[in-house]
Amino acid sequence: MTYEIQPVEIPNRQRPHLIQMPAVETPKPIAEAQEQVQPKVQIKDLRFYYKNYEALKGINLTLHDKRVTAFIGPSGCGKSTLLRVLNRIYELYPDQRATGEVLVDGQDILDPRHDLNLLRARIGMVFQKPTPFPMSIYDNVAFGVRLYERLSPRRLDERVEEALRRAALWDEVKDKLRESGLSLSGGQQQRLCIARAIAVKPEILLLDEPASALDPISTQRIEELIADLKSDYCIVIVTHNMQQAARSSDYTAFMYLGQLIEFNTTETIFTHPHERQTEDYITGRFG
Amino acid sequence: MVSEHIIKSYDQELQRLDNIIAEMGGMAESQLAAAIEAVARRDSELAARVVKSDARVDELEREVEGLVVRLLALRQPLARDLRQIVAGLKIASDLERIADYAANVAKRAIALNQTPPVKPVSGIPRMGRLGSGMIKDVLDAFVERDAEKALAVWLRDEEMDDLYTSLFRELLTYMIEDPRNITACTHLLFMAKNLERIGDHATNIAETLYFLVHGTPLAQVRPKRDRTSLALAPNADVSEIDEDQD
Repeated sequence: MTYEIQPVEIPNRQRPHLIQMPAVETPKPIAEAQEQVQPKVQIKDLRFYYKNYEALKGINLTLHDKRVTAFIGPSGCGKSTLLRVLNRIYELYPDQRATGEVLVDGQDILDPRHDLNLLRARIGMVFQKPTPFPMSIYDNVAFGVRLYERLSPRRLDERVEEALRRAALWDEVKDKLRESGLSLSGGQQQRLCIARAIAVKPEILLLDEPASALDPISTQRIEELIADLKSDYCIVIVTHNMQQAARSSDYTAFMYLGQLIEFNTTETIFTHPHERQTEDYITGRFG
Repeated sequence: MVSEHIIKSYDQELQRLDNIIAEMGGMAESQLAAAIEAVARRDSELAARVVKSDARVDELEREVEGLVVRLLALRQPLARDLRQIVAGLKIASDLERIADYAANVAKRAIALNQTPPVKPVSGIPRMGRLGSGMIKDVLDAFVERDAEKALAVWLRDEEMDDLYTSLFRELLTYMIEDPRNITACTHLLFMAKNLERIGDHATNIAETLYFLVHGTPLAQVRPKRDRTSLALAPNADVSEIDEDQD
């Protein structure tokens, strides 16, 4: 008796075509439709000059509400300048000027008619070195509130407590609110500054290297705080620490020589950036 | 080519990773070639040498693992560097498997030499040559970071599957014809399966390499042509069986 192997006939699956990878396009800011995000700040053709030196060369960028955007780039690339434009702090200095538009909720804040005090109340800023005022912890937080609002003592107490709680500092200072802000550790001082910034209920928080002078534990507290505050604010963080940008932001903007080189989701920027310059910078190849 | 890191020792470590992988690949390729030769020439001594040299590949894989952990912990790699390191770990593991399969082919060559020669042996060198070629090309692609070349290797696995399927049928026929062939043919069948798996690992490497170069996974379905799992006894009802996707 002979057997024959009967192969099962199955129609050939179509041979897949080689997919031609599309040429890498210059990435555009993420389409808003892709996620449920609202644009909070729209920067259009922003140029900034220190006397005749052009420090920002036509920046176009959208910052989303309830998201963290990180600005990264080598020193002198313009990221701190960009932050300074956002709350017009540069106006304190002569010979500095900005052109273009910075629309916050559709209103151009560069318009000289825009009320500067109101703007500063809407946009809080925290600097690299903790800058507590030489006054009590309580007064540090209440300082801005007193400038902008007239609250009853009880309401003011509530506001101070709320801000300190939000800044994850309350438990550490609740028993010594009358002590000087300068008596706190560096990390606590920085959280105090964040509490001071959020006490006036701003809409946008600008953080200029908020953790660069802090030890790793305090740094992580600040990062945790950023993650927590994100639910209420549009947050911008300038950092030289790539890992920090990767950990704490949703979007990342890479700037170089006054230009925005690449803007995309943080994941894209740190896993497969589209621009050679971005990749060289984040991987430590920048000459 | 990619420019250098500001920290030179980082470049040196990444280069070391590439070098170990190239060395592993070279060893896997030559061990496979030697194993196939041992089958074709019925050379048990050569086969024994292949089995022995597998330990060196295992050692290299452990070296890659150590280096990768070190790089991840100390360098905090990003973007292309991160992909290179992750790819290195995966490719090393594929190459280690390939060398294992080559060693298994060699072991079976020794057993096969205890039995009288059977005709379908000739199918093994064909599969072996194809496997060696795939490994060589995918490693060249790795060294050159050439994703297109990797894709070409990826598509060649189809040919490997076809060879395997036809050898499988041939061996089955021989076994049915004369039960005395069963021992030899079973060894050949396992060898063929090993070689078919080597093709799969070569395509894994091609996929990893594609990811390394482009930063995105290969977005295609690989053609699967290994149909041996569907070969049935005559007159069986096959209407219920779908093609295996594994």
